[in-house]
Amino acid sequence: MDQFLQQLLNGITLGSLYALIAVGYTVVYGIVQLINFAHGEVFMIGAFGSLATWTIFFKGQLGLWVLPFMIVGAVLAAVVVALILERVAYRPLRHAPRLAPLITAIGISVFLQEAVRLFYPGAKSALPFPQIDMVTGPAFQAGPVTVRRSAVFVIGALVVCAILLWFFINRTKMGRGMLAVSQDPDTARLMGVNVDRIIAVAFAIGAALAGVAGVAQGLQNSNIDFFIGFMAGLKAFTAAVLGGIGNIYGAVVGGLVLGVVEAMAVQFIPGTFGGSPWKDVWAFVLLIVVLVFRPQGLMGARVVDRA
Amino acid sequence: MTTSQTTAAVSNPRPSSQWLITLVGVALLIIGCFLSWSYVPALLGNLSVNFFPGAIQIFMIIVGVLGLFFLLLRKGLFPGAHKLLDSARGLRALSVTAAAFMVLVVIVIGLQAPGLANADPGVFVTLVGALAMVAGSFRMPSDPTVDPITVHLPSWVEILVIVAMLTVVLFGAAYALGQEDGTVFSLFLLFLAGLVVALARAGLFSWFGVIAQRNRRVIMLGAFAVAFLFPFTQNGSDANMSIATQVLIFATTALGLNIVVGLAGLLDLGYIAFLGAGAYVSAMMSHSAFANIGWKPPFLVVVIISAIVSSALGLIIGSPTLRVSGDYLAIVTLAFGEIFRLTVNNLDGNNGPDLTNGPNGIPGIPELEIGSFNFGDTHNVLGIPLGRFANYYFLLLVVAAIIITVFTRLNNSRIGRGWVAIREDEKAAEAMGVNVFGLKLFAFAGGAFLAGMAGSIKAHQDVSVTPDQYIFLESAFLLAAIVLGGMGTVAGVLVGATVLKLLPEKLRFVADYRLLTFGLLLVLMMRFRPEGLVPSQRRALEFHEDDADLAERIEDAHIEAVTPMEGRA
Repeated sequence: MDQFLQQLLNGITLGSLYALIAVGYTVVYGIVQLINFAHGEVFMIGAFGSLATWTIFFKGQLGLWVLPFMIVGAVLAAVVVALILERVAYRPLRHAPRLAPLITAIGISVFLQEAVRLFYPGAKSALPFPQIDMVTGPAFQAGPVTVRRSAVFVIGALVVCAILLWFFINRTKMGRGMLAVSQDPDTARLMGVNVDRIIAVAFAIGAALAGVAGVAQGLQNSNIDFFIGFMAGLKAFTAAVLGGIGNIYGAVVGGLVLGVVEAMAVQFIPGTFGGSPWKDVWAFVLLIVVLVFRPQGLMGARVVDRA
Repeated sequence: MTTSQTTAAVSNPRPSSQWLITLVGVALLIIGCFLSWSYVPALLGNLSVNFFPGAIQIFMIIVGVLGLFFLLLRKGLFPGAHKLLDSARGLRALSVTAAAFMVLVVIVIGLQAPGLANADPGVFVTLVGALAMVAGSFRMPSDPTVDPITVHLPSWVEILVIVAMLTVVLFGAAYALGQEDGTVFSLFLLFLAGLVVALARAGLFSWFGVIAQRNRRVIMLGAFAVAFLFPFTQNGSDANMSIATQVLIFATTALGLNIVVGLAGLLDLGYIAFLGAGAYVSAMMSHSAFANIGWKPPFLVVVIISAIVSSALGLIIGSPTLRVSGDYLAIVTLAFGEIFRLTVNNLDGNNGPDLTNGPNGIPGIPELEIGSFNFGDTHNVLGIPLGRFANYYFLLLVVAAIIITVFTRLNNSRIGRGWVAIREDEKAAEAMGVNVFGLKLFAFAGGAFLAGMAGSIKAHQDVSVTPDQYIFLESAFLLAAIVLGGMGTVAGVLVGATVLKLLPEKLRFVADYRLLTFGLLLVLMMRFRPEGLVPSQRRALEFHEDDADLAERIEDAHIEAVTPMEGRA
């Protein structure tokens, strides 16, 4: 039972990270029916953005007060990159056959990875991430479970972001515009919604959350490299599909479920097929199983077949 | 021979000033090439000897001769031909190429000699010639040209053109592969690109395309003959044959993927896993000390087993997921590719049964042996030694020929038309009675079958199989080869695969930036020429739906292609 609780916490921590990234896939897909394959790279850029902010402005400082600046740096970097991508690469292809944006996204993905690897100083190998006070450091015991401080940060970040997101979508004009565009872009346009801007905002929201996730990843793993976006992006996409792509709350639920399943698989699958070498395999098997038996996802009511 | 001769009027009887300027430019260009370009013999090959042009001087002489040809064309040297080719546009592209090339050469001499004091007058003569060509050709009016579809030449002329073109390709490829100096190779690429652009501008390629369309069989056989003859130009050198073999493996796999993506429109991002499955099965059944399957059947049996295992994997992964729409399929196949890589990485005895020897892979796979023919030995044919890689090259050529045959036969069959219908509009296809699911599954498993076949050869050719040969990036490369070359065409995929595999091999000095360039290339390609370098016309139309002219031309071409057959029947 103790082990179960421990793995549950580990799973929720991991899942929160997935959820933060997954929102980016789902928001964009819900509005333009595009899989922004390069979103994992936006997450990676966020991590490097926060590292750069710290290196340039606060090198040597480890007080908790630095963290907000690092988060802002991460969000800024991620949002700027995502907006440029949207404008330069995706917008011209909006009416192209569906293969075109997907291939573009793969190209961008490779390009961003390589750009960071080649041009960020020292990024050819993993870079240490600053260990900020309070959110890193010795773990504490809560009853039978060991809680890492970074886990608290990740879960907290997800909760705060989810609340802000809910508020934005349901209580602001822009958010309601997003809902309108996702339901019917043409009618929304006729009703005076600036569809281009809404799409850009969707990219920006996803990127902002991915930026926060980038900081979380850095604190959690204590180092970052240019390749973290690939696996994280793939997992987050799995989470988005799991929850029902296009459904924002689904992405959060999907992320948490995926994280918990992974953690449980490590602990409870018996024999030699358990253990951490196989956890990614089980995550992808879950993706395939979900697509077979419930292609609309756990919470999704959206139409899947929009080829 | 109808339309072209009636319009054989010469465009302009009196030489105009721009024509003369261009002629002078061409003359200076060629004369300059016969003079020394630099005092330093070790620079850019050897350019320091008068009257013995070095490699890059010969490039410029070719440009000059082609320019002269265009100029004479304008004066009606070949009656009728000036209607076929737009010589002014060709000249413009040619002159810009020459000028850019010469400016680069001057810069290279300035940097590497070092100092422009080491440049001889010849280089400046040629530069001035190139600039004169630019000045002249840009004021030259374009000729109205006729659509090549309406022009009919005697068939022997067409076949001659094809043979000439293929010969140029053979020797060009042999030359490019033989080039060791990175700078000279880059200049060669620039020259080649300029030449291609100039000829394309002049309309040679659309004309050539029409000819190729009419003589499909000739061009297929010819291309195969050229590929077959290539090892004989290498004098037993393994260095280039190893690259050529890699290109061929890559191209073969890409051709298989082209059936899945190009014809059926199923985006498969984990295709490399099927190649890997074939390679691993073949490796596990080989006589390697690390192979874990006791049964060692002859290779021809292993090929079949590899291909069947691959296609079985394709069925397993395809049957549940082919019901969901395109984007999902892309991600599921990507996930499958990762599952494959992680699985072969894990099965080392500690995590699961010991099948694949984990991250170290299976090394020491022995050379192939079919009957008594050992692929590792050097064989002499007509006094020309053919080494290890040449042997694999011929085997792969056979596989490639099989795949190309399968591809073209399928493309023109009921199945191929079904695939195209599915690709265009799945629901409409289903409503018309196309067995959508069955055909998709067939494409998927069939593509996997071909990849498995290629993989089983790749294992022997590479000597070892390791999990990190089968990462996602390789799938992306395969897809890029198809996209770059042109989806759904054989020629396009071959061009794309060659470009993507050959350039990194030859441009080692920019090796670090090759992935960056690759990513950028994909993005730019999708933005500006989504149909690829050698597009199938149907595809081109898909990407340019509002281009009415293109639609009309394609319609004409189809009517053209159909009518004679009906006449015969």
